[in-house]
Amino acid sequence: MSRLLTESSTFKLFTSVGLLQERMLSQSGVNARSRDVFGLRCLPGECVLQRAVMVRKKLTAREGRGWLSGTLFCTNFRVAFLPQDSPKPDDNADPVLLGDHDVALASIEKVVVVGPNRTKLVTPNSSLKFTPEELVLYCRDLRVMCFLFDRLTPDAQVLEITYTIAKTYQPPKPGSVLSFQNASLGSVEMKQFLSNRRRDVHMNWHESVSDWEQELERCGATGWRVSSVNDRFEMSTSLPKFIVVPQKVLDTELKKSFAHFNEGRIPRWCWRHPRGSDLLRMASFQNNIYHEKDDIRNLEMIMFGCQSSRCVVVELGDELPSPPDIQLAHSRLRALCLGDISTSVSVPDDKWLSTLESTRWLDYSRSCLKKASEVASLLCGAHLTVALQEADDRDMSCVVSSLVQVMCDPHCRTQHGFQSLVQKEWVMAGHRFYSRINYHRDNDKEEAPVFLLFLDCVWQLLSQYPSRFQLTDEFLLALHDSIHLPLFSSFLANCQRERCKRSQNLGQSYTPVNGWRDMLQPDSSSDPSDPPLPPVWDWDLQYSKHRRDRFTQPVPQTPPLQPLLNGNLNTNPDTNPDTLKLSDTIPGSVFLLSRGTFSSPANLLPWRSSSSGVYKKSHRRAASSENVPGLERLLKAWALNEFTHGLTSTPKPQGPLDPCEPLLPLLMGPCMGLWRECYLRGALHAQAFSHPIAANHPHPVERLAQEVQQLKDKLAQVSTSTDSHLPTKMAEPRRTDANLNQNSNNGTFLFPASRPQGRAMPRAAPPPTSTNHQTSRGPPPSSAPPFRPTHKNGSGSGKHTFLFGHSSGTEARHDQHYYPAANNAKLPKSNGSSIAL
Amino acid sequence: MEKSGSVDSLGSKRSSSRQPSVDSLSSTSTSRSDRSAQTKPHSAMSSDSVSTSAELSPELRVSGLQAKVLRDSNKEELQLLPNEKVQDLAQDVTYFCPFIGALRGIVTVTNYRLFFKCTDRDPAFALDLPLGVVSRVEKIGGASSRGDVSYGLVCKDVRNLRFAHKQMEDTLRKSIFEVLMKFAFPVSNGLQIFAFEYGQVFPENGWKVCDAVSEYKRQGIPNESWRITKVNDHYELCDTYPSTLAVPVNMPDEELKRVAAFRAKGRIPVLSWIHPESQATVTRCSQPMVGVNGKRSKEDEKYLQAIMDANAQSHKLFIFDARPSVNAAANKMKGGGYESEDAYQNAELVFLDIHNIHVMRESLRKLKDVVYPNIEDSHWLSNLESTHWLEHIKLILAGALRIADKVESGKTSVVVHCSDGWDRTCQLTSLAMLMLDGYYRTIRGFEVLLEKEWLSFGHRFQLRIGHGDKNHTDADRSPVFIQFVDCVWQLTRQFPAAFEFNENFLVTILDHLYSCLFGTFLCNSEQQRLKEEIPKRTVSLWSYINSQLEEFTNPFYVNYSNHVLFPAVSLRHLELWVGYYIRWNPRMRPQEPVHQRYKELLAKRAELQKRVDELQREVTNRSASSSSERAGSPTRSITPVQTFV
Repeated sequence: MSRLLTESSTFKLFTSVGLLQERMLSQSGVNARSRDVFGLRCLPGECVLQRAVMVRKKLTAREGRGWLSGTLFCTNFRVAFLPQDSPKPDDNADPVLLGDHDVALASIEKVVVVGPNRTKLVTPNSSLKFTPEELVLYCRDLRVMCFLFDRLTPDAQVLEITYTIAKTYQPPKPGSVLSFQNASLGSVEMKQFLSNRRRDVHMNWHESVSDWEQELERCGATGWRVSSVNDRFEMSTSLPKFIVVPQKVLDTELKKSFAHFNEGRIPRWCWRHPRGSDLLRMASFQNNIYHEKDDIRNLEMIMFGCQSSRCVVVELGDELPSPPDIQLAHSRLRALCLGDISTSVSVPDDKWLSTLESTRWLDYSRSCLKKASEVASLLCGAHLTVALQEADDRDMSCVVSSLVQVMCDPHCRTQHGFQSLVQKEWVMAGHRFYSRINYHRDNDKEEAPVFLLFLDCVWQLLSQYPSRFQLTDEFLLALHDSIHLPLFSSFLANCQRERCKRSQNLGQSYTPVNGWRDMLQPDSSSDPSDPPLPPVWDWDLQYSKHRRDRFTQPVPQTPPLQPLLNGNLNTNPDTNPDTLKLSDTIPGSVFLLSRGTFSSPANLLPWRSSSSGVYKKSHRRAASSENVPGLERLLKAWALNEFTHGLTSTPKPQGPLDPCEPLLPLLMGPCMGLWRECYLRGALHAQAFSHPIAANHPHPVERLAQEVQQLKDKLAQVSTSTDSHLPTKMAEPRRTDANLNQNSNNGTFLFPASRPQGRAMPRAAPPPTSTNHQTSRGPPPSSAPPFRPTHKNGSGSGKHTFLFGHSSGTEARHDQHYYPAANNAKLPKSNGSSIAL
Repeated sequence: MEKSGSVDSLGSKRSSSRQPSVDSLSSTSTSRSDRSAQTKPHSAMSSDSVSTSAELSPELRVSGLQAKVLRDSNKEELQLLPNEKVQDLAQDVTYFCPFIGALRGIVTVTNYRLFFKCTDRDPAFALDLPLGVVSRVEKIGGASSRGDVSYGLVCKDVRNLRFAHKQMEDTLRKSIFEVLMKFAFPVSNGLQIFAFEYGQVFPENGWKVCDAVSEYKRQGIPNESWRITKVNDHYELCDTYPSTLAVPVNMPDEELKRVAAFRAKGRIPVLSWIHPESQATVTRCSQPMVGVNGKRSKEDEKYLQAIMDANAQSHKLFIFDARPSVNAAANKMKGGGYESEDAYQNAELVFLDIHNIHVMRESLRKLKDVVYPNIEDSHWLSNLESTHWLEHIKLILAGALRIADKVESGKTSVVVHCSDGWDRTCQLTSLAMLMLDGYYRTIRGFEVLLEKEWLSFGHRFQLRIGHGDKNHTDADRSPVFIQFVDCVWQLTRQFPAAFEFNENFLVTILDHLYSCLFGTFLCNSEQQRLKEEIPKRTVSLWSYINSQLEEFTNPFYVNYSNHVLFPAVSLRHLELWVGYYIRWNPRMRPQEPVHQRYKELLAKRAELQKRVDELQREVTNRSASSSSERAGSPTRSITPVQTFV
């Protein structure tokens, strides 16, 4: 670093590291942050290496296009851009890693400069023979940052900042990650700040027994229990400590089963469909193991879960892309979308479509969605257990199991629900984030952006059902970008065991609220220089409030998922005529779904191999193939996607919104869209003209829904004021609002009572966004209604939100269909007296 | 139409399950359905159908894309329009639906439509097809082994239909499809197009939408540089131009005649649009008759100079020739050509590389093959690419963008022409005007734009579409206007809040481009329309549309009239208009009736806003009486919330 500093002759902002330390030491408050003399707010320990004035940043379509002038900085952590008239930063606010116009050095993949009539790729050893007019940063997350140097920018500054960026950004080599982590999080203050952060209690981290129990309760999954048999990772190194297994299987029995599966990844419960089907996932069988009679009984008990009758094993191998396929597709997509000007091999416009097709990225998205749709239809239509089976159960089963839940469970379409889902099916389930992202560039063979493919699939669903998601594509985009920052504990390990090891070794750890209590034994021998890593879900750390506000949008109220208790389905047979009734099913039928067809091969389970000797050990009878047609009908119903269904069956009166109805995507060629806001963000050729109206963002429905919510807020505010007749209250809307939430009589339950203070009111007149583009947005989205107030919050009655101040009528109608009569206690609180509209 | 028969009714059903139904369709919904019953002229004569519509909640049926062409409630029954008469009826006809399979039912042919009603299916399936849509009827093969005769109907709206019926025992009796041929091609059979018989009366009169003089007046014409001339009052100067023209002040009518002699078909440069501030203009004309010898015309050169001089901001003039330069040069052989920069000082000629009507026709034909009936998912994008349809769309949009950019950013006047100035020129000037002037982005403004730039300036609709003409191979047919509407749709996709109309509006216009129900798109020029007394004898499409505007209104429209739209024209940012080209495929239905949600949310917003205001007023009144030193100023919050994009 000192080398760099001596090189930068024009501006020596910090003449020595000593001075920097002095400055840091002189600051007393933990959260206090240094401020660059030119107004850039630095993280503790971050130092500005170079800056250039009078720089213009090219704005993307989303940002309103056009140009923004300001100052460009290069620190030891990021390239920052500070718009000219940006508001003075609040020195007491918590540190935010990146501003709206910043890019972390670790995200930069390539630095290119444009001079008169030429472009040049700048490497740490380059020397420039011309003064660049434009600086283009190509990022790993497909952003392209383009900065234009004004004639007024001193040439020396232009050259220096270019050299500095080229020398400091992370060249893809092992070992650079740690220094980057230290630059951003390694300061004493940052460490202390991070270790004092509390984790988000609105989401389920799936780390502790109680977390899993909470999930079981949420899904209404009876008959299952949380087992801590893998507490010390002795049964399986890649599985989490706690797994969910059938209640009737004892831990001792369970222990014998691990050996029968790859990596010991036995069938575990993931999720229960409200109609009572369970979703399981597992690795493939170990065939070279001798099966004891008891083992087989245990295995079957685990496989069938608490359904006594049917189990469908869904083979995820053949029809889905392999990780190398995904890697290849993604690298092609990147090359196509970035349109790298330094290589000048940009794809001509008239070959765009076929080149896009040949990346196969959209094909792969389609096949994942197709598989997930099949599974969702099965779960939804019949009462059975679906077990996803993949060789190692760590890639495509993550994709499919989580997509199924996004399709079927409205909770998973909220921000917190989605975060919980990723935590459950990816982070805890042992997706090899660390290897797949290949942060260290030392394991190219394993690299595959499986998670990005999943995000693309979710975006496809979101774009087809825009109003059914509480999370927005801004959120997906933020997650997409975060993956490229090697700063988050969520992604910097391959399984829970590795994460635990790391935090064990650290003197300080990211304080967990629920889990790991017993495991936290500070190890004095650990390297104290390793900074504690935050989870990716700590969005406050990464993004400004302005950005975070756009992560969610209000959604129309959905009736809460009221799970059917096991077996209730038959008591109410008219609920859903589609429901497959296989009353004659022989208990213990196992079917295999592979390549779109069902079969009941005798040797599906290893112990049922054709040699009759082995087979006899099973307690169960052979699966009959008689039920195959019934199952196939379910799949077909999906494949034809309701249009024939609608033609053939009589219209049935339905509630306004069936929460069990999965969001099945249309998968025909023209229906698979390209996530332009992500992949084409950097496409400079699309921004030839600046214009006042931002093109496509956000979705108009989002905006309007937000406005409606704001008006409701306002209304709530005003009506309380009228009720209270107290002018003093008028002056303090914030307080009025707080009261409002406790006051059930005024009937404005936009939010459950648990809404945290401080993000509430007033939203009427937000400060205009700082940039110079003429685009004015609607007021920023108000805070998202927390969909599932946790029981811990004690929010009790406010089970769900009433965004639209709903009449009780629809709910009552709904009750007749789906709610078990005995379950009165859980009925949503009727809110008929809400806003009289 | 098929979609209104099957898909639409399905759509409503599905949407009732999917649609969150924001406020449970309470009082608003009933009032709205009442209103729709009033405004829809053809609604429901039987009480039967009324009840059906109530069940299906008419609101939900408006699922954005569906052009509910003049039919609403009971789609399963044939409802005759005024003066529509049943011509023939055949039992036991099989319709081979490419999506559902063979359906048996009854076919009715009237002087306006073909109506197929499926008899052996529940719920009923119906196909309702205006005969104007039929491009060709062909007998497929001979009688099959089962004694069936098969007929294929090739339609102008990107679909083919196939029917079959038993061989007639009585060979003398005409097949129903022979009857159909007679009424599908009235012009070829000496019959009258149905638009002349259709006698529906609408509350609005669409023929009054556009008045040339008042449109020029809106633009500030006449002014010190431009005047309105009546030289073409009797279509003597140019028979394909309108009677009212705007020309530079210092060009006397006598000289205009000499300019006309030098321009193909006498289509002299005339004003289309003038920038309200810079006075930069968009003018249109046909190609100059340069020929192989490089003829010149002093008057024409003076004319272009006058156009340039009328704009004080710039000393340059851009001439946009829509054609590829090769084609423009080839036109010299036929006496045409392009302006040489030697002859026209200070003028810069730009070729926009847009291909001719034959290339476009072929492209649409390929597109039809790719999208109907089945789509090959795995090769969808490369198949789409091979049609070049989006590439043509891109070139047109890019050309219009360059024109708009020159006028807006360069403050330079432009002259636009192609060969005759009635195809590509219409596309370019009207798209550029749509980008430049927010007025044309309103419903009425768009109608004016079509009336002016397309209809009055002689886009040859009759020839390009071939209304009622059985000569389906006519080389004059071309989807020029469809391309234009496609471009408009691309603009609405990129600027969702900038247009007052919705997708349904555009689809409806295209549907009635073919239906021959309205007189709007009949004939080739203003002169012909006058001669045929179209405004007197037919109904205007705008009468129908303007009588039920809420069907066609974009709920998110924000009046950005002073903004200029510069779309991204890269193929990377264009999409195929699936809501038009692939709408027949039942699996392409939009998943969510988003428009419905828009409307409900807007209604909700209005209600809430009203209530907030009321309460605010109440509070203000009360507190004014009780206390005077309130500082919190809650009045701030009454600021109406606006939808910004």
